[in-house]
Amino acid sequence: MQMPEPSQAIMNQRDALAVALRQIVGQEWVISDEAERRPYQCDGITAYMAMPLLVVLPGSAAEVQQILRLCHEKGVKVVPRGSGTSLSGGALPLEDGILLVTSRLCNVLEVDAANRVARVQPGVPNIKISEAVQHLGLCYMPDPSSQLISTIGGNVAENAGGVHCLKYGVTANHILGLEAVLMTGEILHLGGAYLGAAEGELDLMGVLTGSEGLLAMVTEIAVRLEPVPEVARVISMSFPSVEEACACVGAIVGAGIIPAGLEFMDRKVLDAVSVLIRETFDSSTAALLLCELDGTAVEVDALVDVVSDVARAQGAIETKVSTTEEERQRIWSSRKLAFSAIGKLCPDYYCTDGTIPRNKLPEVLNKMADMSVKYGLDYANCFHAGDGNLHPIIMYDAAKPGDLEKAEAFGADVLIACVDAGGVLSGEHGVGVEKRDLMTHQFTEIDLNQQQMVKCAFDPAELLNPGKVFPTACRCAEFGRMHVRNGAVRFPDIPRF
Amino acid sequence: MTQTETTCLRPSSTQDVADIIMDAAAAGQTLAITGNGTRQGFGNPVTASRTLELGGLDQVAFYEPEDLVIRAGVGLTLDELEHMLAQKSQYLPFEPPRYTGLYGTDGRRSTLGGAVATALSGPRRILCGAVRDFVLGVEGVNGQGDVFKAGGRTMKNVTGYDLSKLVTGACGTLAALTSITLKVLPAPRAELTLVVPAGTLEDDRALFEKIRALPLGVSGLARRVAADECCEVVIRVEGTIPGVAGNRQVLEGLLPTPPRVAEQEESRALWQDIRELSCLAPRADELVWRVNLPATAMPVFVDEARRAGCISRFFVDWAGGVVFSTMRGVQPEVDALRYRKMAEKIGARAMLLRAPDPIRSQFGAFPPVAAGVAALERRTRAAFDPAGIFNPGRMTVQA
Repeated sequence: MQMPEPSQAIMNQRDALAVALRQIVGQEWVISDEAERRPYQCDGITAYMAMPLLVVLPGSAAEVQQILRLCHEKGVKVVPRGSGTSLSGGALPLEDGILLVTSRLCNVLEVDAANRVARVQPGVPNIKISEAVQHLGLCYMPDPSSQLISTIGGNVAENAGGVHCLKYGVTANHILGLEAVLMTGEILHLGGAYLGAAEGELDLMGVLTGSEGLLAMVTEIAVRLEPVPEVARVISMSFPSVEEACACVGAIVGAGIIPAGLEFMDRKVLDAVSVLIRETFDSSTAALLLCELDGTAVEVDALVDVVSDVARAQGAIETKVSTTEEERQRIWSSRKLAFSAIGKLCPDYYCTDGTIPRNKLPEVLNKMADMSVKYGLDYANCFHAGDGNLHPIIMYDAAKPGDLEKAEAFGADVLIACVDAGGVLSGEHGVGVEKRDLMTHQFTEIDLNQQQMVKCAFDPAELLNPGKVFPTACRCAEFGRMHVRNGAVRFPDIPRF
Repeated sequence: MTQTETTCLRPSSTQDVADIIMDAAAAGQTLAITGNGTRQGFGNPVTASRTLELGGLDQVAFYEPEDLVIRAGVGLTLDELEHMLAQKSQYLPFEPPRYTGLYGTDGRRSTLGGAVATALSGPRRILCGAVRDFVLGVEGVNGQGDVFKAGGRTMKNVTGYDLSKLVTGACGTLAALTSITLKVLPAPRAELTLVVPAGTLEDDRALFEKIRALPLGVSGLARRVAADECCEVVIRVEGTIPGVAGNRQVLEGLLPTPPRVAEQEESRALWQDIRELSCLAPRADELVWRVNLPATAMPVFVDEARRAGCISRFFVDWAGGVVFSTMRGVQPEVDALRYRKMAEKIGARAMLLRAPDPIRSQFGAFPPVAAGVAALERRTRAAFDPAGIFNPGRMTVQA
């Protein structure tokens, strides 16, 4: 994986830059010592590493503004970072760029229960929002599995999903307003702290959400709060085949039910977790579905009956329904432990998040079985079935020469199969550096140019998080001047990094 | 009304749209982009060389009910779309209003493309989200005649910038959309609406707040003018039959007086009236406003605006978060400015839904945005349409 060539000239200015940045944020909040910078070398993908030029921890939007203005003047690249849980390398540092870390911007600024909104800083961990409003019977709905650690700023950057997004939507559906700083240091306020505050605006907030830190640095977020559902119950359904489990997913939705969560685990995952939870699964079970229903007690009871009937009609061997909160947590523990359980089976694993139309699940799962044979690597499947968001877990051993490359190629093949099935490269992890070079498989040159033109509107100097998402640089200066008619490849000789 | 010098172009394929745009761009002509032209009164008046009508692009590419997704041409009418979904017991959760009663046009011809371009969301916004939350992907043609796609058809997607959101609500100023992929949902099996006489605005707002704090999935909370000119509070619950019955009991316990209950058909008709602002019944010479504001600010805002003569008739939707009102046309130029200033003072957004062309041209139908945001909007428009040939002036007031 190639990144843009670092600029030696910028790297030579490191000490002078550190002095200037310390004047903005204070002595202790610029990390220049090599040993102290080392923990920031990678995010959730440890396969990709780079030493950041400097790590800077601003304490206010005003400091972010001054930092960006300074970097813009000096032509220094900036990589934003929250807790560094990205699974696509979105926060991978650049050797000639500063890492702008939001850890100190970690306050819940205001809870407005009457208008059902909270204003928070980007460094607030996702779970802290719900904790801050728990006593009001409210919560912040999107719950990526990283929610204990991942920050709301990172969630906005990646448009994070989670187990409950089938029913409740992803991050973008819960953001009412943003304060963001452009690379030039200009502060913008988009939307506001109430429902409909963005009416009549161009939806810049919508395009900022999920832009992976390439367009602006978000410094404040107004999020929607929802009442905590009265009850939640989970149904565990075991099936003799993967096909029947997949068909059941469609049948539940077809019956007019949108579960709060609908998760799929294959036999390999079940075997791995059964060791950890000390529970065995029937030997005839090839796949398990977990279906969570929430709402009022009356509503949930009615839905539980319907889903149980659907499951039986679809060939379920066994259905178990949680009757207490403890039971619900216990049933969910198998899913929550899935990744660590697989981690015990192999030295390393690699997981991507291609997303497909639900009815293509059996087709793509079958292709994966073939790929496993082709690459000689084992894999397991554990994913968000309700929204077709796959998480194939490819097992490998980084110590074995060539194994990582094989795992990466396997992962890329899965993503290509997803796109070919009418799906997309990423459902919730983002493109980052990991899927960057596959973008041309999903999008035409024209599609990508249109996206990059938007980048030019926000950051024409291309200093914010360059080398991510797009396989080529923007060349903002050329856009608008060069224009080749439909179909013709625009920049046939452009160097790719 | 859109003013055009020459004939109206009505293409029937994406390629035709691209050719027309390429020709227009080459000739330095501007284009007024519409669906079937039922909502030309929305936004600022447009002056363009020619009109590009996309109502002919009305094919359904696919509809997969089990996957909750439909992709159709922008010209498909909302009536046809909703009828098709209803046959599979599904619906558009964002409940798109037509507002054609305001414009004196035929609502049956309002299109999917128009719903996405205007991004108007109906009463269910408080529970289910806005138009933008259901647009999974788009295909469109930019100002240089390039056909591009954005987004996709899956429920989750973070692959590249979400241009689908950007074009939603852009009133055709970024691209001529040709097809749209929507997320749809199963329609609730049962619905009913509880109706009680309105109290003071503050009483009603407090009631809204109390109801919304409960996890009942209330999908409509409004205060409207009833047929007998009295004001009433209406509360809609939807879901399974037992679920709705259960919620009704809980809500009845919260209400100051025993409610009248409108079930199924009656409830549907009632909310269609709210969606279409029927109870405002504006006179021909009245301006119509839509103000989005924090619900807590609503009572004081409405009282002050009424005292100042800026509100003649009004009703409240979105649990107090939006006020629809009429304004008498005595001195609309003066009052429009005054009303918008009152809204700005509390951070509200006052949209002029209906007004004569000169007034919309002068004040702008949309509330002004801060200078920095306006500049970024301009650069973003140029990223799609560098020569500014699409719907010139629709969203911005020309200097």
